[in-house]
Amino acid sequence: MTREEIIAEINSIFVEQFELDPAELTAEKKIFDDLGLDSLDIVDLMIGLQRKFGIPLRQNEEIRKIVTLGDVYEFFVKLAKERPEFAANLKK
Amino acid sequence: MEKRRVVVTGAGVVSALGGSRAELFEALLAGRCAVRRMPEWCAELPGVPLAAPVELDPEIAKRINRKFRRSMGPAALFASLAALQAAEESGLDAELLGSGRTGCAVSSTMGSSSSIVEATALLLSGRREEMPATQFFKCASHSSAFNVANLLGINGVQLSPCSACASGLQSVGAAMEQIQLGKQDVMLAGGSDEATPAVAGSFEQLFALAGGDVEPERASRPFDADRRGLVCGEGAGILVLEEYGHAVRRGAPLLLELTGYATNCSGVHVSQSDAASIERCLKLALADAGLEPAGIDYVSAHATATVAGDREEAAALRNVFGGGVPVSSLKGHLGHTLGASGAIELAAVCEMARRGVVVPTLNLERVGAECAGLDLPVAPREKRIGAFAKCCIAFGGVNAVLIGKKLS
Repeated sequence: MTREEIIAEINSIFVEQFELDPAELTAEKKIFDDLGLDSLDIVDLMIGLQRKFGIPLRQNEEIRKIVTLGDVYEFFVKLAKERPEFAANLKK
Repeated sequence: MEKRRVVVTGAGVVSALGGSRAELFEALLAGRCAVRRMPEWCAELPGVPLAAPVELDPEIAKRINRKFRRSMGPAALFASLAALQAAEESGLDAELLGSGRTGCAVSSTMGSSSSIVEATALLLSGRREEMPATQFFKCASHSSAFNVANLLGINGVQLSPCSACASGLQSVGAAMEQIQLGKQDVMLAGGSDEATPAVAGSFEQLFALAGGDVEPERASRPFDADRRGLVCGEGAGILVLEEYGHAVRRGAPLLLELTGYATNCSGVHVSQSDAASIERCLKLALADAGLEPAGIDYVSAHATATVAGDREEAAALRNVFGGGVPVSSLKGHLGHTLGASGAIELAAVCEMARRGVVVPTLNLERVGAECAGLDLPVAPREKRIGAFAKCCIAFGGVNAVLIGKKLS
C-alpha cells in the first residue's frame, strides 16, 4: 500500500463519517481545532480506522498523541513500513 | 396561588402524512391513510406486517448539522425537525431559547428502539468495540429531550416523562405546569416515537396488532365493530407553550390556550385500560380547567383500535359526556404513533379549532356495540371548536387528559 493510498483511505473516513469537505483535508489541520471533531468523534474515528485497517487501536498509546491529520497519516504510514502484514489487512 | 395562563404559540409535526402541521391536516381532512405493508420487517415479523412509517427524505435530515444529528436516532430526529418548525412559527430567537427561562419536555415510549436493537446486536455478537460513541445518546430514554435542547440551545428545565403512549401528552402537561407555576416562561413540549419490528412485535405478542390479510388502508379501525388491533405509526409533534402575557408582548401567534390537565393511573393492570380511571382522569382535567362536560366541543380520543382499549375509553367518554360531544380518533389515518400520538394529535386539534372542522375517524363504518352511545363523526364536520379535550391512555395503566380552547 502506498502512502497516497493510505492517505486516501484515511480521508475517506473523514468525508464519509464526519461529512467534511475533501478540500479541507490537509496534513497541517488540527483534528479538534481545525476540523471540529470532539471527544465523541475521536471514539468514532478510532472505530472507523480499526474497521478500515483491520487493526486494534483502542489500547495503542501512540495514537493518543495525534494532533493533526498529518499525524494520522504518519501513524499508518509508519505502521505499514514496520508491519508488512498490515497492508494485507486493508479493507476496501 | 393563581396559575399563570399558558398558550400554544407554535406547533411542528413530522408524520407519515406530511412533514408539517398544514400538510398533515390536509391529508387528514382528505381521509388519507399512511398504513402500508412492511415487507422489510418480514425477517423479524413474518406474515407481511403493517405500519405507517415516516418516509423522510435524507436531505431533510441533513439540514441538521452532523454535530447535532450524530446523537439522534429516528425518534429524536423527528422531534428535532418538529421542534425547528415549532420554534420558527413561534418566532423564538437564540436569546430567548438560551435565557434559562425556556425549557423543553419531550418524551418517547423509550429511547430510539431501533438504536437499542442495534446496540444489543453488537453486544451479543461480541462486537462491542464497534459501538459508535453516540449510541448511548440514541438509546437513552430522554434522547429526544436532550437532542432538542442541544439543537436549539435551550438551557432551562429539561424533562422527559416516559409513559409509553401517554408520553407526549404527559410532556405537554408537565410543560404546562412549569409555566403555570412560574418556573419557566416558554417550553417546547411534545413526543416522538418510531415504529420498529421490536415494538410492533411486542404488541403482536399481546394480540393487540392488526394484520393478516386485511387491506392496509382499512386495518386501523378505531371504535369500529370489526377493529382487530392497532397499527404502529411513528413521527413527532412538538408545541411551543408560553405564558400568555409573554406571548402577547412578543407578538407570537396564539394558536390555543391550554386550560386544564390531569394524569393518573389505574393501579389495576399493566396492559388493560380501565374505564373508571379514564373517567376519573377526564373529570380531574375538566375540574382543573374549571369546565363542566357540557363546555367541551370536541374530544380527540386515544382510541387505537384495540378491542378492549376502545371499549374502555368509549365507556369513560360516554359516562362523562354522554352522546352530545363529537369524538374522533386519528389512528385510522396515522396508525398509533405511540409516545408521539398525544402531541401530533394536539397539533391537529390546533388546525381543527382554527378552521372550525372536526376530522372524523377513518375506517369507522359500523360502530362497535361497546362503543355505541357516542357522537362519532364519519365525515368532516364543520363545527366551532371552542374547548376541547385530548386523551391519551398508555400501558402501565396511565391516563392523561389535556383541556384547551381556542382563543377568542
